[in-house]
Amino acid sequence: MAILEVKNINKSFGRNHVLRGIDFTLEQGEVLSIIGSSGSGKTTLLRCLNSLEFADEGKIIVNGETIFDGSVNKRPSEKELMQKRLHFGLVFQNFNLFPQYSVLDNVTLAPRLLTKDSREQIEREALELLESVGLADKRNNYPCELSGGQQQRVAIARALAMKPNILCFDEPTSALDPELTGEVLKVIRSLADRHMTMIIVTHEMSFAHDVSDEIIFMDGGVIAARGGPAILDNPTSDRLKAFLTSF
Amino acid sequence: MNTFAEQFPIVFQALNVGFLQTLKLFAVTLLGAIPLGLIISFGSMSRFKPLSMLVRVIVWIVRGTPLMLQLLIIFYFPGLVFGKQLWGGGESGRFIASAVAFILNYACYFSEIYRGGIQGVPVGQQEAGQVLGLSKTQIFFRITLMQMIKRIVPPMSNEIITLVKDTSLARIIALQEIIWAGQAFMKGSQGISGAIWPLFFTGVYYLIFSGVLTLLFGWVEKKLSYFKV
Ligand SMILES: Nc1ncnc2c1ncn2[C@@H]1O[C@H](COP(=O)(O)OP(=O)(O)OP(=O)(O)O)[C@@H](O)[C@H]1O
Ligand SMILES: [Mg+2]
Repeated sequence: MAILEVKNINKSFGRNHVLRGIDFTLEQGEVLSIIGSSGSGKTTLLRCLNSLEFADEGKIIVNGETIFDGSVNKRPSEKELMQKRLHFGLVFQNFNLFPQYSVLDNVTLAPRLLTKDSREQIEREALELLESVGLADKRNNYPCELSGGQQQRVAIARALAMKPNILCFDEPTSALDPELTGEVLKVIRSLADRHMTMIIVTHEMSFAHDVSDEIIFMDGGVIAARGGPAILDNPTSDRLKAFLTSF
Repeated sequence: MNTFAEQFPIVFQALNVGFLQTLKLFAVTLLGAIPLGLIISFGSMSRFKPLSMLVRVIVWIVRGTPLMLQLLIIFYFPGLVFGKQLWGGGESGRFIASAVAFILNYACYFSEIYRGGIQGVPVGQQEAGQVLGLSKTQIFFRITLMQMIKRIVPPMSNEIITLVKDTSLARIIALQEIIWAGQAFMKGSQGISGAIWPLFFTGVYYLIFSGVLTLLFGWVEKKLSYFKV
């Protein structure tokens, strides 16, 4: 059984029909990359998965549990929403670290508020996560004291601390200076090696090619092409071909 | 009593009494305006349009007219219209009227500062909390609030230091604050008349008081400087 099933997601902002019937499935441990030009609905799709936005139509099923069903009109309660969001993690383009907390506290905040684990255990696990993104030595620093690449790596550790089933990335390196993208991509790659299930929206084509099990090309709110990394070498659709030549 | 040395103890005593009234008005204004400003700011951000419009019009009127005028209206209006002194007579009536005018006026200024502080926290902060599974209350108290406070401290300290000096406006309805106390020695009081230095000397009180507040707010800002928003 797939860990994630997305069925016929439709979403409009006013008269702007942004997502027009998005369908895909994702297997446990797989990496899915989503590419596509600006405005094609990639961010909106991730926001729907993370319940930051609600689709008008469609279904989202995680591990067999329906976490969104557009045919049900009832708005979920806050408790239900909090529960649904735990299935996913989201790493933002511009990090969104909490500026008033140290690196360690950024990572431990949610587990301290939401789990019953002891503080020692939470901090031990947080330090292991920081170790894995290469920032254990920065644990007492504040976000403003870090480079963009370091902030994004903390954001990844923070997202992992709640042990999401699926970790989503929205252009995790787009806000970084080119020389800093490498360190973040390396961390994501190491997560892929450890079979973390991930959905990555990215403009880094060679990275997507290397790291992905499957690639989706979105255009105008639909999935215009999909397949293994090979579709980047031999594009199966003209629109994808046109998109790729723009790089 | 003509020598400065003879006048000083009497004047000092009288100015201290006046300054106590100044301090009282200052403290009561803050106690009332800090929470009322928060309520007004929520009103002005309400999604219920008629409410937010109404609140914004009130804020516009209060911020767009002189505090001195508001003091006069609030003090005299009930008496003129209802023929009855709503505030009670004497010094305590003048104090209550002053406090009402100051609280209303400063609450409107504070509300705008709060609004800027609340709306200035990027939505991304809230969303980062949401995707971690935090509740709205947790997000407000653990994430947004501190950033809001950091944003509002500098403009709030400006307003509060302005309030120190604005309390003297209550002189217009003869509240016996420090300016009133200093002026009394020009007309004649306790055997001293025609003395202008007591009025000038009140400036020393204002300087010391605003100086202390400046240091205090500087310290708070420094305490909050460990992070950037
Ligand atoms: N909150 C919103 N309200 C109204 N329109 C929105 C909102 N969010 C997104 N849109 C619109 O939805 C469309 C898709 O936006 P989205 O951010 O999902 O695109 P994207 O593929 O992520 O683009 P980019 O590569 O620039 O990040 C755009 O036309 C955008 O203007
Ligand atoms: Mg986007």
